[in-house]
Amino acid sequence: MIKEQVSPEEVGRWMRLRYRLKIGWREPTAAIGLFLVLLFGYLIVVPIASLLFDSVQVQFGDVRRAKADLGELTWYYFDRALFSPVSKILFWEPLRHTLSVSFGAILVSLSVGGVLAWLLSRTDMFGRRWFATALIVPYMLPSWTFALAWRTLFKNRTVGGQAGWFENMGWTPPDWLAYGQLPITIILALHYTPFVILLFGNALRRFDSQLEDSARILGAGPRTVAWQIILPLMLPALMSATVLIFAKCLGEFGVSYVLGLPVNYDVLATSLYRSIASRQTGVAAVLAGAIMLIGIVSLLIDARLVRESRKFVTVGGKGSMNRQTALGKFRMPATALAGLIFFLSVGLPLMTLLLSTIMQVPGQFALSNFTLDYWIGSNLETVGLSSGILLSSELWSAMWNTLRIVGFASICSGIMGILVGYVVVRSPIKGVSIFLRQVTFFPYLVPGIAFAAAYLSLFAVERGPIPALYGTAAILILALMADQMPYASRAGISAMMQLGKDPEEAAQVAGAGWFRRMVTIVIPIQKGALVAGVLLPFISGIRGLSLFVILAIPSTDVLTTFSLRLLDYNYTQAANAVVLMISAIAYFGTLAAQRLTKTNLADGLGG
Amino acid sequence: MPNITLKHVNKSYDKNATNAVSDLNLEIGDGEFMCLLGPSGCGKTTTLRMIAGLENLTGGEIAVGDRVIDSIGKGVFVPPEQRGMGLVFQSYALWPHLTIEKNTDFGLRLRKVPKAEREERVNLVMKKLGIEQYRDRYPSQLSGGQQQRVALARMLAVNPEVLLLDEPLSNLDARLRLEMRTELKRIHGEFGTTIVFVTHDQWEAMTLATSIAVMHDGTLQQVGTPNDIYDRPANRFVAEFVGSPPINIIDQSPGNSRITDASRQYLKEYFPAISGADSLGLRPENIKLASQISDVPADHFAEEAFVAAILPTGGSWIIEVMVDDHKLFLTVNEPPQVSVGQQVWFHTSPAFMHLFDSDDQRLTAADDVIAEFCAAGESCAPSAAKAS
Ligand SMILES: Nc1ncnc2c1ncn2[C@@H]1O[C@H](COP(=O)(O)OP(=O)(O)O)[C@@H](O)[C@H]1O
Ligand SMILES: [Mg+2]
Repeated sequence: MIKEQVSPEEVGRWMRLRYRLKIGWREPTAAIGLFLVLLFGYLIVVPIASLLFDSVQVQFGDVRRAKADLGELTWYYFDRALFSPVSKILFWEPLRHTLSVSFGAILVSLSVGGVLAWLLSRTDMFGRRWFATALIVPYMLPSWTFALAWRTLFKNRTVGGQAGWFENMGWTPPDWLAYGQLPITIILALHYTPFVILLFGNALRRFDSQLEDSARILGAGPRTVAWQIILPLMLPALMSATVLIFAKCLGEFGVSYVLGLPVNYDVLATSLYRSIASRQTGVAAVLAGAIMLIGIVSLLIDARLVRESRKFVTVGGKGSMNRQTALGKFRMPATALAGLIFFLSVGLPLMTLLLSTIMQVPGQFALSNFTLDYWIGSNLETVGLSSGILLSSELWSAMWNTLRIVGFASICSGIMGILVGYVVVRSPIKGVSIFLRQVTFFPYLVPGIAFAAAYLSLFAVERGPIPALYGTAAILILALMADQMPYASRAGISAMMQLGKDPEEAAQVAGAGWFRRMVTIVIPIQKGALVAGVLLPFISGIRGLSLFVILAIPSTDVLTTFSLRLLDYNYTQAANAVVLMISAIAYFGTLAAQRLTKTNLADGLGG
Repeated sequence: MPNITLKHVNKSYDKNATNAVSDLNLEIGDGEFMCLLGPSGCGKTTTLRMIAGLENLTGGEIAVGDRVIDSIGKGVFVPPEQRGMGLVFQSYALWPHLTIEKNTDFGLRLRKVPKAEREERVNLVMKKLGIEQYRDRYPSQLSGGQQQRVALARMLAVNPEVLLLDEPLSNLDARLRLEMRTELKRIHGEFGTTIVFVTHDQWEAMTLATSIAVMHDGTLQQVGTPNDIYDRPANRFVAEFVGSPPINIIDQSPGNSRITDASRQYLKEYFPAISGADSLGLRPENIKLASQISDVPADHFAEEAFVAAILPTGGSWIIEVMVDDHKLFLTVNEPPQVSVGQQVWFHTSPAFMHLFDSDDQRLTAADDVIAEFCAAGESCAPSAAKAS
């Protein structure tokens, strides 16, 4: 063997650099990477930074109160939001409400969802396949669908407009039942139960029955097995579900808005909304920052739990088995329980909404009381619209806005997702990969409403070459796109990871340049991922509310904000009709996405 | 295509990581079937990918003939798509969205070969590899062996002058593997292609290669013909890596055990001019057994042992003998005449001894002594007789 070392130092620095450049810039990957870094730096990092600055800088109109000049550093907003006499209303009460609602919802959905998950994955309950899909449906619908249904049923004289069904039937529900904590908790619980079913079901299905059998053979009774084998192994899924539901409840706006507002039951998201609506930018920034912080901390906890639980992943060995428990005489009651949950979380609310749109007097089941006027009538004497919802030009303009804005944003984020995936996997510069991976994931940690506040803070005024975007469709598209990037880029990265480098390198060795490889190899193979990367954000965007409620104005109304506006006019039938339409689009869109991508809806539904 | 030359090639994936390949010097001649052999993680794939241009160098230079295609010092880098080589991936990397025919056709299309010629070429290659009946199927509809042949066909279609293969047979079952080995050897003969073949399987390397490069921890250990590698391993690593069951090593530090002392005594007598032997290697097939000392040829190294186990392997036998608590393996091709627990004499000719120094390098001086034994009529390994 020849042993004459050439030390690296002997090679000229310049040549080394030339070699590097030659490799790095040979292909557009590096340029695209740089472009994406700048783009997402601007769309994600800058708005959040701007929001955080807002919380410590004197805002327009606060010069006198903050006793400092415009733009100067100040603790005024922190003081006001966290320590002043009004802080109780602005922050502490809403925080308490948020926490109690979230924990209530977590408790209920864990117990209900846990039982259902077990019934679905480990027993011989009737109709398991059907229930496995049916019980997930609430998660596909906008959460405030249920809030509207609740309000339709339980509304009392505290709020004007049409009476609730029960009231018309002669019983006036008390406020504590009609509005506030109890209904919000129940509705959030119903909405997130599918989430528990999915998470738990997955964990249970992966759980190897042989683990139980081994314990049994060693003499453990069913109770010991449950406590010492099953529970510890399920703990990570349990904790993970807890944290994720909490993070989602944190940004939950619609339900609290519909059911909390009449009795001034504020949660953090609605308090933030009020601050923005009353132009208290600085306080809003503090609130948004707080929501963001809580969200980030809880998701970091989750990330940690997931890492912990990885240790268990290999547990399911070769002969992994999943044996079913025979329910025996409980088979019928168990099925009835699942049916009841389905009825409460899907059937009842949707039926209520549907009926409310075809009944003249709420809650009166006489044939003469039914009408299609609210859908297709004209010359109606209602406060909101003078014609049926389907004949209203505002609906169609909202529909068109929704398709246009959400559609465009979804197409952009789908394409960006694949590009991010490509660059993350292929970039010759490691820093670019890491930055892109993390920055595109960041919006996931930030509840939508706080993210919207950040966009408002950055784009409300003209900055440099960027004009003021507030009130345009552009701000909605940008915000939606950034908000959906976590899902889009995760899908893109995992698709590119799964594809691996080999097929592309094989084409490269065969003589194909970059562009050619993209067109003939990468894009055709990733077609499915691309479709999923467009459809899934589209569905979650269409039922999204919190971004729009902050950033949309009447001329950029989308379906969700339109229905909320109708509700504000107390035109319940029309609001319900619009929500039904959104639900239908979300439901059938999910089915279509599932069919097209041959994936389980369980996997992609993050939003 | 002229020779491919690697000069002082270095590769580290991370600034602080140890080199995946260090100071690799290798020349691959035209028309050669070169096997890169070594345990997993020793840098074979990295080397292959650097030749293809898929991995960048950290130092050194790669040239084809006089033309430098990759060099940090000269700031030259020819991208993989312009190197005109063929690479078969360990995972096959067939394009899942293209049929077998389209997969095979891809490179020709890129080269803008006229349609008629393309069809002819694709048909020829597919026929040669026995995959023409699958032409309209997609890769996922083929078995592993068939996919492997498509991967090969795809590269052969463009008739590259160099074909790089990364453990192409490792995912196949034993029978198919044997078949494909023959196939590869035939292709090599028929197409005259230079082949660089990566494997961790010594039998594959032995049976296929015209030349083997053994690697370990990113460094080249030895380059030579299969016989060279087997009969004259350059160091202990090569000696122990090649051969199954592995070579028996007898430590030569004094006072270690009965077998050590006896072998030291023997070497002093038969290799008087050789000093510095740190270990002695004996290949299992070169060790014989005798039931009495009187049956052992006078010039053989012999020692009393007892038979610990006899393992039939179908057609041959592995026998494990113990000299006190030192274990030796030997192989025989006839049914063994001994039984477990029996006291026997193992013995071996001095012509089959491998001596290594304290740096584990081969003591080549001993080879000259061995050549003399051979000249004197001792039975010898073919390459041992023509010592340097
Ligand atoms: N992409 C990579 N990034 C970092 N380290 C790598 C990469 N590929 C290989 N290595 C490391 O380089 C060494 C040599 O790897 P490789 O060439 O794949 O070995 P072989 O093919 O001989 O099994 C190993 O230690 C491996 O961990
Ligand atoms: Mg390898």
